[in-house]
Amino acid sequence: MNKRNSLYYYILVFILAQVAWLGLLGLWIYWYVSNYLIFEQVGEKLSPQINLDSPNLFIFIGGIILIAAVAFGISFIFRNLSVQLKLTRLYDNFISNVTHELKSPLASIQLYLETLSARRVSDSDRKKFLELMLKDTGRLNSLINSILEIPKSEQKKVAHDYHVYDADAIINTLLRETAEQFQLTGKAFKIEGKALCRCVVDPKALKIVFDNLVDNAIKYSGKTINITVKINSGLKKLLIDFCDKGIGINHNDQKKIFKKFQRVYRKDIPNVKGTGLGLYWVREIINSHGGKISVISEGKDKGTTFKIELPIYQVSKKHYINYLLKLTRKREKEREVIDE
Amino acid sequence: MSKDILKGSKILLVEDEESLAMGLRYNLTEEGYSVTWVKNGKEAIKKFDSVEFDLMILDIMLPHVDGFEVAQYVRERNPQIPILMLTAMTRTEDKIKGLELGADDYVAKPFHLDELLLRIKGMLRRKAWYKTAAGLQPVFRFGDNEINFEDLTCTRGEHKFRLTPHEAMALKYLLDNKGKIVSRKELLEKVWDISSEIETRTIDNFIVRLRKYIEPDPSKPIYIKSIRGAGYMFSE
Repeated sequence: MNKRNSLYYYILVFILAQVAWLGLLGLWIYWYVSNYLIFEQVGEKLSPQINLDSPNLFIFIGGIILIAAVAFGISFIFRNLSVQLKLTRLYDNFISNVTHELKSPLASIQLYLETLSARRVSDSDRKKFLELMLKDTGRLNSLINSILEIPKSEQKKVAHDYHVYDADAIINTLLRETAEQFQLTGKAFKIEGKALCRCVVDPKALKIVFDNLVDNAIKYSGKTINITVKINSGLKKLLIDFCDKGIGINHNDQKKIFKKFQRVYRKDIPNVKGTGLGLYWVREIINSHGGKISVISEGKDKGTTFKIELPIYQVSKKHYINYLLKLTRKREKEREVIDE
Repeated sequence: MSKDILKGSKILLVEDEESLAMGLRYNLTEEGYSVTWVKNGKEAIKKFDSVEFDLMILDIMLPHVDGFEVAQYVRERNPQIPILMLTAMTRTEDKIKGLELGADDYVAKPFHLDELLLRIKGMLRRKAWYKTAAGLQPVFRFGDNEINFEDLTCTRGEHKFRLTPHEAMALKYLLDNKGKIVSRKELLEKVWDISSEIETRTIDNFIVRLRKYIEPDPSKPIYIKSIRGAGYMFSE
């Protein structure tokens, strides 16, 4: 309500500013025209050879240019302002989502601690409670990490750890770790295909990508989870497709989901909790690997496929990949110096 | 009222955070309540329709149907079941929205276990008290008004209003103390069991709402009068 009011307020100020300077312009023109006649008469009497007609066109064109410049300036400021407003709104949403995401595990930890201190809890229950608390601290940790790491990756300050790996081995290892973490077994999680090539990745960062994609697939899948990861190596690119049979993504929302703080709110989809940072972070990581990520979904209830493309080592994006490796070597050397 | 009457009270717990729900279920079961746990709004409505509960603990951010909608659905069908909203949303607007939709209390996460259990006990006790109190004299008439404390309705001429349990209890308390000045603090203590979340301003809002139901002209009240600096008084 407040924000909408403030938008109206800005529009009102904008219109008033236009009215004010147009009024001023009108006043000047009126003053000029009324005085011009007098000048002309006086001028003719004093020295008839003065030609008052010639500068008119110049002033006219100059005036138009000035008006255009002022109008452009104001509309530029106004556009920036509306972008800022939109960002503020997204940010407010983000803050309330993060608050929720932080408070829920905190509430649960506090509840268990108070329970353990107030009641006589059996050994088996105590063990269960401790496990649940650890799960909550893990959740808090990954949330805090995502909030702290994203600004770093935006400023290219992340100490990425890039090395050359056998693509098939590293991707399978990371995917299995992810599946284990989310307790996905059997039909719920399948890996298909093979990638017979080498690639340069930062395993920790890539794991974050896989975790986020699997977490999303679970969140938007209802009761039966069915995730298939297809690995394939093309001529120049290593392809990893994450396919789920979940609720799918509306065509209009497909463009939005990788944007920062952006979350899709729709009546017909479950109100899933999140910060609006996950997929943004995923895209940042894939981009910094020299890769690309896109989403395909044929619509509601048709499932979603996230397609990741990573460059194959020594085949594509050679300069960029070598730069990443050099950067890692430099960082490692720095670390060695510090360690010594 | 002895604690034993409350034992076995049926509580519907609507919470999608698994670990929190498990901890709550453990504690409530230890207190002697019988707990049914559902994970989303849809299931909550389904369960509410099929089983009779004594109290509902409701999270707001739920998948499918959110807590506000559940509260509204439940209130439309059952004016008496106490609803406790338990949520990480702490904005005042959310609190007000929850209370307006018919929640009886609002607890923010993270919460203290003792406090939560006491509030639940208080709500269940009031519900039990209310059942007996309303049973003695279920219908009350004054002027054009007829208040039925059993089905929580207020009839004025052709108009019929639904009262929330708190509105009904506040009205009942004023009626029981006809001709006496009741302070805001007293109302807080008797009707809300002095919960720190409720401010005296909320009482004034309640009175404004009650006046809308029972007064011919709410701006010039004849039944519920404000006594400056002291509180409210009911008179016929």
